[in-house]
Amino acid sequence: MTSLATRTIVLTPSQGVVFLLCLLAPLLLLLGCRWRRRKILGRMSTPLDWSIPAIDAQAHGSSVFHCWMPAVKIGSLLCLSFLIVALHSLFWSMVSVLIALIAVHLARIPWQRPLQRLAAVSGLCALFLLVLPLTSPPRPGETILLVPLLEWLPLRLTGVVLALTISCKAATVALLMEPMFATSELSRTLQGFTNLGLPGTLIQMILLCHRYLFVFQQEAARMQRAMRVRGFVPRTNLATLRTTGNSLGMLFIRSFERTERVYEAMLSRGYRGTFPAAAKQFPTAKDVAKGLVAVLIGVLLLVLDRLYPVQWP
Amino acid sequence: MHIADGVLPVSVSLAGYALTLAGVGYSLRRLDSANLPKVAVVTSSFFVASLVHLPLGPTSVHLLLPGIVGALLGPAAFLSITIGLFLQSILFQFGGLTALGANSLMMGLPALLAGFVFPRIRGRTRTSNALAGILVSGGGVLLAGLLLAALLATAGEDFWGVAKLAVAAHVPVMFIEAGVGGCTVAFLFQVKPELLAVQTFSGPRNEQ
Repeated sequence: MTSLATRTIVLTPSQGVVFLLCLLAPLLLLLGCRWRRRKILGRMSTPLDWSIPAIDAQAHGSSVFHCWMPAVKIGSLLCLSFLIVALHSLFWSMVSVLIALIAVHLARIPWQRPLQRLAAVSGLCALFLLVLPLTSPPRPGETILLVPLLEWLPLRLTGVVLALTISCKAATVALLMEPMFATSELSRTLQGFTNLGLPGTLIQMILLCHRYLFVFQQEAARMQRAMRVRGFVPRTNLATLRTTGNSLGMLFIRSFERTERVYEAMLSRGYRGTFPAAAKQFPTAKDVAKGLVAVLIGVLLLVLDRLYPVQWP
Repeated sequence: MHIADGVLPVSVSLAGYALTLAGVGYSLRRLDSANLPKVAVVTSSFFVASLVHLPLGPTSVHLLLPGIVGALLGPAAFLSITIGLFLQSILFQFGGLTALGANSLMMGLPALLAGFVFPRIRGRTRTSNALAGILVSGGGVLLAGLLLAALLATAGEDFWGVAKLAVAAHVPVMFIEAGVGGCTVAFLFQVKPELLAVQTFSGPRNEQ
């Protein structure tokens, strides 16, 4: 029988260190990545904070995911993601991270991109991990953690568990994105979305935008370089706002005029709103079987999560 | 701030997806095929511009730009925002794929509102245009922050602290973006005013 009185757990110093490391792991990952990027950027002096990665650089490998028909792959992995997001307990969320790690391993892609994805979600996760233990509302029968040296900062166990669960689920879906999108060419992946019933115009727009991104990013980098050699140093003042505003306007105009020319050239070469696609593909039994396995894993996780929510001390 | 996977309850994520699909459908119906490149340009430039960080005291912020996208595209802004966020999600993992619906609503609704308001208040002079730009840019960020807080609040009482923090974090961005947005609109008004002449909401439907 559980009592409704507030329980207090005082951690030993070693437990406290491990606990704090778990709590601060995303923050450390984020800072590490930022430090590494700054080192690389300092060497190459690229003006933009982020260069745009190629999503489908690994599209020509061979693995279970590479030879999976995109429409079925996207559909079933998206299903799996939604099922994982629906998990409630920390234990099964951790199991889902493990499954995602196995999926990335099976996809035979370098670990660099999945790690970058983890770093990208770690900002928000760090925020949750730092804030939720402090701001969770008081509940009857709750447990409060006291870390040595930080006794003045009582951490609520519900908040800690909730933040960790969210971080695990975010990490799982972030890891699954790589097998989902990196294992076939973007155009084929997007074709898969059309097969799933999304309007063709939308898919064409996404493809066009993706192509323009790289062009405009170079344009923006060129403009920033030009601004810097003319002595522009961004600061917190009105001049920076005005300069940035004007350069943004210039970026729009240059991009627009350039794109208009390109679009007219495309029209005159016979573009009628669709890119020529490969012949219509039909899913094989193997594709469907893989999809079923993915969805079944998700359903199994969800059922186990609801039937046996493993409780933590 | 983009919502990551696993934060929102599944019902909210799915509802977000349903509303976003409706919004995209609306945008696509309003979209004239001659305007396709313009939407693509604004989407990609908004994406690239949001990668540029501006210093704010010891830290830095990046622009969100829902107001400007709305002012440039009108009813097609929702489509543009959704595509931009989808690409940010699959390229950088900024915002989870399962939370894409919620994220699109958070940025797309302010953009639609900006697209509705901007042509009505922009007037004919450079100053009035700049003021309208300031208003829709700052207001867009504020509204996005409030929507974010509302979405986080649906995840339960535990998240109210984070929600308040999120709104507070949007306030400095609001001022910066109001300044940048005003300058951008003034610049566009002087250099290429036809870019600001957006499709109106009451225009003829495009039959496809």
